[in-house]
Amino acid sequence: MTITDDIVLRLTDVVKTFPGVRALDGVQLEVRAGEVHCLLGQNGAGKSTLIKVLSGAHTPDSGEILWLGQPAAFNSPQTAMKAGIATIYQELDLVDGLSVAENIYLGHEPHNAGFVARRTMRRGAAEILGRLGHAEIPVGREVGKLPAAAKQIVSMGRALSREARLLIMDEPSAVLAHDEVENLFRMVRALTAQGIAVIYISHRMEEIREIGDRVTVLKDGRTTAANLDAKTTPTRELVSRMTGRTIEYVFPEKPETTQVYDKDAPLLQVEGLSLDGRFSDISLTVHAGEIVGITGLVGSGRSEVLETIFGARRATAGTVVVGNKALRRGSVNAAVKAGIGMAPEERKSQALLLGEPIYRNVTLAGFARFARVGFTDSGRERVEAEKITQGLDLRPNDVRRPVRTLSGGNQQKVVVGRWLLGGTKLLLLDEPTRGVDVGARAELYQVIRRLADEGVGVLLVSSEVPEVLGLSDRVLVMREGRLVREAPADELDEDTVLDLVMAGSLLDGADLASTAPEGTAA
Amino acid sequence: MSASSADMSRRKLLLGGAAVGAGVLLAGCTSNDTKDGDAGTNTKENTAASQAPGKAVTIGFSAPAADHGWIGAITANAKAQAAKFSDVTLKVVDAGKDAPAQIAALETLIGSKPDAIVLLPQDGAQLTAIGKKATDAGIIVINLDREFSDSAASFSLIKGDNYGMGIAAGKFIGEKLKGKTDAVIGEIPGIDELQLTKDRSKGFADALKTYGLTVKHRVAAGFTVESGQKAAANLLQAAPKLDAVWNHDDDQGVGVLAAIQQAGRKEFFMVGGAGSRDAMDHIKAGDTVLTCTVTYPPSMASSAIILARLAAQGKGMGDLVELQVPKLIVLQSETITKDNVDKYLPLGFKS
Amino acid sequence: MSTATTPSADPVELSKGAASSAAGQSWWQRDSADSAKRNLALIGVLVLLLVIGAWTRSDIFLDIDRLWSNELTVLTQASSIGVIVVGMTFVMISGGIDLSVGALLALASVWCTTVATQDLGPAAMVFTALAVGAIAGLVNGGLIAYGKLVPFIATLAMMLSARGLAQNISGSHTQITADPFIKSLAGDRLFGVPYMVIIFVVVTALGWVLLNRTTFGRRTIAIGGNAEAARLAGINVRLQTLLLYVLSGLCCGIAALMVVSQTTSGSNTHGDLYELSAIAAAIIGGTALTGGRGTIVGSLLGVLIFTQITNLFIVNNLQLDIQRIINGGIIVAAVLIQQFRVGSFFRTRFNK
Repeated sequence: MTITDDIVLRLTDVVKTFPGVRALDGVQLEVRAGEVHCLLGQNGAGKSTLIKVLSGAHTPDSGEILWLGQPAAFNSPQTAMKAGIATIYQELDLVDGLSVAENIYLGHEPHNAGFVARRTMRRGAAEILGRLGHAEIPVGREVGKLPAAAKQIVSMGRALSREARLLIMDEPSAVLAHDEVENLFRMVRALTAQGIAVIYISHRMEEIREIGDRVTVLKDGRTTAANLDAKTTPTRELVSRMTGRTIEYVFPEKPETTQVYDKDAPLLQVEGLSLDGRFSDISLTVHAGEIVGITGLVGSGRSEVLETIFGARRATAGTVVVGNKALRRGSVNAAVKAGIGMAPEERKSQALLLGEPIYRNVTLAGFARFARVGFTDSGRERVEAEKITQGLDLRPNDVRRPVRTLSGGNQQKVVVGRWLLGGTKLLLLDEPTRGVDVGARAELYQVIRRLADEGVGVLLVSSEVPEVLGLSDRVLVMREGRLVREAPADELDEDTVLDLVMAGSLLDGADLASTAPEGTAA
Repeated sequence: MSASSADMSRRKLLLGGAAVGAGVLLAGCTSNDTKDGDAGTNTKENTAASQAPGKAVTIGFSAPAADHGWIGAITANAKAQAAKFSDVTLKVVDAGKDAPAQIAALETLIGSKPDAIVLLPQDGAQLTAIGKKATDAGIIVINLDREFSDSAASFSLIKGDNYGMGIAAGKFIGEKLKGKTDAVIGEIPGIDELQLTKDRSKGFADALKTYGLTVKHRVAAGFTVESGQKAAANLLQAAPKLDAVWNHDDDQGVGVLAAIQQAGRKEFFMVGGAGSRDAMDHIKAGDTVLTCTVTYPPSMASSAIILARLAAQGKGMGDLVELQVPKLIVLQSETITKDNVDKYLPLGFKS
Repeated sequence: MSTATTPSADPVELSKGAASSAAGQSWWQRDSADSAKRNLALIGVLVLLLVIGAWTRSDIFLDIDRLWSNELTVLTQASSIGVIVVGMTFVMISGGIDLSVGALLALASVWCTTVATQDLGPAAMVFTALAVGAIAGLVNGGLIAYGKLVPFIATLAMMLSARGLAQNISGSHTQITADPFIKSLAGDRLFGVPYMVIIFVVVTALGWVLLNRTTFGRRTIAIGGNAEAARLAGINVRLQTLLLYVLSGLCCGIAALMVVSQTTSGSNTHGDLYELSAIAAAIIGGTALTGGRGTIVGSLLGVLIFTQITNLFIVNNLQLDIQRIINGGIIVAAVLIQQFRVGSFFRTRFNK
């Protein structure tokens, strides 16, 4: 692997705003020919937007893109492709019904007077696959019938057929089994050896260590660290660049002791909960008035645990007990009836009716309660919803507005408000501050703490370690589908949690599992 | 919990019982057997010359899928007539929805080598080639109603007279309104795009012209009851006063008559078309504006089966001199009024 | 549900800017008035049609008695399809579609006019029509909600088989009924208004109340607006979906009775292409094919526009083929206008 010093791509101060959202807020990036440049960042850090800017799907508002030393503007995916930038998306954009060769040459089929030169195409495809070391993939096979790993190879083949100079790979290992990842790395190395630059996006630290040359870290749409050495930079530094506080959050004061909870009568008791392929053997408790935080990386199963407790996913093993009642598996209705409410991670797609007024969103889970013999009472709904939103300090507090006109933080309040209306006893919050700006976060923290003070149990998931530590009474750490640590929040610090969160890169995973405290089985 | 679940199960039981009861009732309600058992078909007992059973013949039969009373009567008549002959085996093949489907069905039929085929084409021109193919294969082809574009494609053609039907309707109305040149005449055809509609309308207009009359209001009703009702309801709004209406088709006429009754209109008289049993009943009872209908008889299917049998057995028609059946038979369009309706009642088809 | 796959813009948000700009532009005001505006535009189209009528047939449209009589005819003609559109609007607002309405009408009309049913009297005929519609709707809903079939496919299958069954039961004959009660529905009037129109108005009013004032309606809108959000809010999405198709089937049963009464017969040719007319009416009334949006009033106006156009053509003695061209043009125009609005909204708001 030779890293030449030719810089193929340089981004300076790239900004991209959407109405109400500053998705990219000054991104710097420098990619050299023949290197694997890793892009690190949390969800919402701006990676997807950056990829879209590079692949021509979005046009940046300001900033400079230098491509092969020339200022470039990729107005459309076609221009980016022509310039030599190919993107392999996580959800592979192959046409299942076409053959391998047809997919590789999709959009630029070799042709004679308008007729596709099928033989040339097949020969070319076979040669490209050979270069990737996978001549065994039959070029005539329908792509839909190939396994995921082979599809990815076809995707890479397509990039080669375009004579790409830069290949962007968005979490390519997510769909692969372990040994297939090895193979992927072999191919990536083969590409870089030919001088092709690769932007590699992954959450897995060990992959970055193995395949990466340099690392750029994004947070909140900004480059927080550029061109770190992928092999030697300590994991802790990388992670803190990703998650670390750029601003001091103000957390509400916690109650003096956690002893006030009735340890014998937990509000929520989860025993041995498992969901095949996602997480296994999760046991936890939440008491009334307690905030319990779960943290872990993407893919650690943290969100899935919440969704399974809520019944949105059907557990494959284990029990969820609320009060004294075991909940039926896979039944949201049962969970709601038992007094559980959930604010899911994807507010817009999972929680809100964006075109409907605020009050109807607040009463979505409870409008039937205000109804008499099936007739809704919009007047009372509005009054009740307004009480709730006032308590949450919703701004602007006009419950007739459509929800989509609200900011992210206020939308989140609407979702939380929905469950307060119903007298919910246990609130599941999945990334409650995702997409919420700094000022509004502090407010949300206050709201959550106040709810707990009023006796609501809160189980929250967040990838932001400071948030979990600052807000929760008790913290659970998850890694690769398992609980690896449970402790009161004041016994943990950020570094410890970060070490636990990272997938065995600093500590041996087996040791960690054995250090799981007795509290997990409570 | 247990109380509520018991309650639930009782509710379920009640619901289930009600559902089963409703299901039984509904299932029973599909029966369409009338008490008098009248199938509404027209057949002919064996004529003298053909009485003696001849050699056994297989006759294939293909007509468009019945989505209309008249077509339904065609198939029913063919089946009923064939059943009257001990020496005839009738093979009915589904003609499907369109001409290509019918061609495909006929290919199979030809392959099974019947002695004769009675064919009411979806479209005369499009089915000519297959008719020719069958004829060339030595099969007697009786072309029913919709004419092939090449007469060599069939052995015989038996058809109704659309133009004559229009003439008959026009003549009846003309006679009644003679001298009243400002008379308002309405016409409710079936589907304008069809050649048969064009022929009927032309005959109607030609006949009216000889009396100095013209059609003032015209709206196509699509050959279905519902569209007949809708078209007529609107037509009656367009024409506050009418003298006469010719409705081309007694099937859609059910809807047309309903619309007229719902509008409470009585100032005009109506002439029907085809000759359904329902129309004849109304003519006989005199309880509606329908005073007359001009026939386009589906009994031609029965006659076609008779022709096919005779031809296949090498016989001529008993009352004619010739030793072969005629090449072309065009049926008269007859005018049925209260005076002669009793004679025609047995020929009325079920709409 | 790995979050890393989310292709949408990363929501790093500056809430105050967004909130205040939203308040300044008063998005919501425009939004709430949207359907009202659309309905006003549709009423404008209706008025325009009447003006054309007055221009081409002044003897009908400028004579108050004949205008009244003509418009009652238009309403009567719109009544059966109008009842079906009420059910269709519910289904479409929930994000589904029901292609089987015409066939269900035919099946119910045939089933309730068999000799056996007629022998049991008018009550049995009414019950049969309603039950057949509702049960067929139950089958549709069951296949969609619990069998996870796409609504298009499930109801397409129902459309074919219901028509076939209607043909099978009737033997493709027109089943005439002389029942005085059934016939009186179409023939008689109350205070000068035909019963058909009264049924139409009542069903539409009930539909409006059901959609706008009941939990049933609220669930329908929620499912169409965001099915996942509705599910996570504890709404029984599957049961609601099932009930929606039963409602649509029931509307077909009512419409079947109306058509039977109007034509004094049941037939497997009844309700021909009603599914397309109903969808077209709902669409020009502002119902979104994607669900979540639509009004009963808009759909009703859609039906009236189509029926009024038919009436205009017939009273002017014009060929109906040109009418079909115009109907097609109206659908395209209405949807283009809506898409333009919604499209510009998304462009400015989410940049997609």
